[in-house]
Amino acid sequence: MQNLNEVKVGQKAVITDVKGDSRFLSRVTSIGLSLGCEIDMLYNEKKFPLLLYGRDTVIALNREESQNIFVEVIA
Amino acid sequence: MSIKVSKQPTIALLGQPNSGKSTLFNGLTGARQHVGNWPGKTVEKKEGYFERNGRRYRVTDLPGTYSLSANSEEEIITRDYIASGEADLVCILADSSQLSRSLFMLADYAGIQCPVVLLLNLIDIAEKQGKKIDASKLEAKLGIPVIPFVAADRSQYQIFYDGIDRALAEKKMINIDSLTEKHRLTAKDIYDQLLALIPQKGIGNLSASWLIGKLIEKDENVLGKVKTVLSQDENQKLSRILSGIENGALHTAGCKFQWIDELLNDVLVQKDKKPVLSKFDKIATHKRWGKPLAIGIILFGLIASFIPAAPIMFFGSLIPMLGGPIAKALTAIGAPDILIAVINQVVLNTLYFAIAMIGFVFGVNLIFGFLEEVGYMARVSYVFNGTMSKLGLQGKSVMPLVVSFGCTIGGAAGTRVIDSWNQRVLTIALAWVIPCAATWAIVPVISSLFFGAKAPLVIIAIFIVAGFHLFVTAKIFGSKLIREEDRSGLIMELPPYHKPRWRALMRSILVRTWDILSRALKVIFIVSLVFWLLTYSASGNLEVTLLYKFGRAIEPVTIIFGLTWQTFLAYLASMVSKEAALGVLGSLYLGNGSLFTATVGSGGQVAAGLDAVLLTSLTPAAALAFIFAVTFNAPCLMAITSTYQETRSLKWTLRILGYYFATSLLLAFSVYHISNLFL
Repeated sequence: MQNLNEVKVGQKAVITDVKGDSRFLSRVTSIGLSLGCEIDMLYNEKKFPLLLYGRDTVIALNREESQNIFVEVIA
Repeated sequence: MSIKVSKQPTIALLGQPNSGKSTLFNGLTGARQHVGNWPGKTVEKKEGYFERNGRRYRVTDLPGTYSLSANSEEEIITRDYIASGEADLVCILADSSQLSRSLFMLADYAGIQCPVVLLLNLIDIAEKQGKKIDASKLEAKLGIPVIPFVAADRSQYQIFYDGIDRALAEKKMINIDSLTEKHRLTAKDIYDQLLALIPQKGIGNLSASWLIGKLIEKDENVLGKVKTVLSQDENQKLSRILSGIENGALHTAGCKFQWIDELLNDVLVQKDKKPVLSKFDKIATHKRWGKPLAIGIILFGLIASFIPAAPIMFFGSLIPMLGGPIAKALTAIGAPDILIAVINQVVLNTLYFAIAMIGFVFGVNLIFGFLEEVGYMARVSYVFNGTMSKLGLQGKSVMPLVVSFGCTIGGAAGTRVIDSWNQRVLTIALAWVIPCAATWAIVPVISSLFFGAKAPLVIIAIFIVAGFHLFVTAKIFGSKLIREEDRSGLIMELPPYHKPRWRALMRSILVRTWDILSRALKVIFIVSLVFWLLTYSASGNLEVTLLYKFGRAIEPVTIIFGLTWQTFLAYLASMVSKEAALGVLGSLYLGNGSLFTATVGSGGQVAAGLDAVLLTSLTPAAALAFIFAVTFNAPCLMAITSTYQETRSLKWTLRILGYYFATSLLLAFSVYHISNLFL
């Protein structure tokens, strides 16, 4: 299990855990990042928000927020 | 649930941002709409109606939210509205090109006992992406009407009208058996324990199953509702059960997406494709190139907005020319002079100002509405998120601020692309700091007159002060407008690029433009009339005008701020029109011309002989105080009107106005006294 922001561009991963208060959980999940969701990393540059692709959608996510999302790289 | 046999059914539109809700709302209602606020809230409420076969359908556009949790004012309003039972039918919009994510709203709604239809919007884009959606199969699985269509294309609305009539007659709810089963399996005993505790029929139109889902998510708002119907003993039990739940929202969301995947498994057919950023997006979202590209496109947009604006503004500028012929005609029929003067000066200038203003607002709305519509503004928001969050704003706010370098009217109008009212008001409050183009018609003239080759230093000083001003103003207004919990980090969707739907875009802009024109006419007329009365003199002698007398009387006070009575009156006039500052100085120092004409009519020209008089009447410190006072004053009457239009709040417009009045005088005071030490 690793941090979402450690996933490299081009890698595919599955979300295994999200930590945070219910407000954060509901924000993250309602945009499509739920347990078991497959994501592709599109853009990952230091000090800049991540861009990932999940459920047919490009999603932008702050690095700070992404530290609370855990994944398993699958490809 | 109360069943209303209403002749005027109420339809509520519900959907995530970018699902096309506003497009449908405008398409259905056209000009028959009213925008206000939800009672006691700062969230915009849009209502309207349409008529078909002699029947009137009321339409309510609910705020765009990603879910029905209670994390924001928008979400609570949406939920309370649905729970109130006011709507006879809820239309849930989903984006067919991102169906599995977009159906989350439907999954979060499932269990609310109010008839519903599912609208699969943007079906044309999904088809272009090679996706096939079997709507009739989805309809059979869900048990409610499912309507594939394109909200921007009114020629496809027949299928929508038929669908809602069917839904209103049949009053079907979503089949939630499988979803409930998933919640029960995931939550194990907890689900049944909660089910045993809460009312079997739910509360109002919120079913027991829906309430349990929200209780597991630790939704405070629902918890409060449930608590009121339980006994003290039951409430203690409830707290005990809930305290055993961890990460509830994560698990319920998991169930909802499982349910969605199950719904779609034989409904949606699509090819697997390795997702990559498009060539354009690689630059548009690039750490280094994204920002310069965004600024470039915004500046280009600012220039481009003059293309549709110029003909309208030109037409407006012809109106004052009617003054001569009208005066002649009125004199001929023996109308009193004062009436002729009011028509000639106040009425014609009001028309001129209002038309010039809507011309520019129309241009800005068209160009930036276009950039929003095709999907580019979301990229701007992404690359500027880090920078703008320091001011408490979202990334998109950079656009109105950049536009304000051209014109604050456009800056205020441009905040339309920001969906949160609070963010919009804060952005406008900050846009007023940015020195607009008219500033440069005044500042260089006066600073080169007094400081010669050192004049550029004045301009540099203005920019440095503007920088500090932005941060201080962001702190002051931000503390009132942006709650701490709303300053959360960026989690947003970058919608796929669309081809623009010109018709739908024009429809929404034209509706808005008429709305703005009618308000602008009112505000500008009243202010112009008051200003005209203050500057009225039957003989043409300045010294009998109220404004002149006021200026002379108040000079002992204004001099503290480094302003003579002449520069103070010019400063006041610059609130009506920034360019007026020089014209009014000319009238006052040279004692000729009408103050009103100098204010509304001068294009920043320097009256002959004014420079010599200024040099002898003002010290360099007083000139500097005047420059700062005018630069950081309210931008102009039209910008104030535009602010009122976009905030829809007289209170906040006056707050912003009062703040700028006070701070510009404070800046003049500081500049005057500090420079007196050196100059």
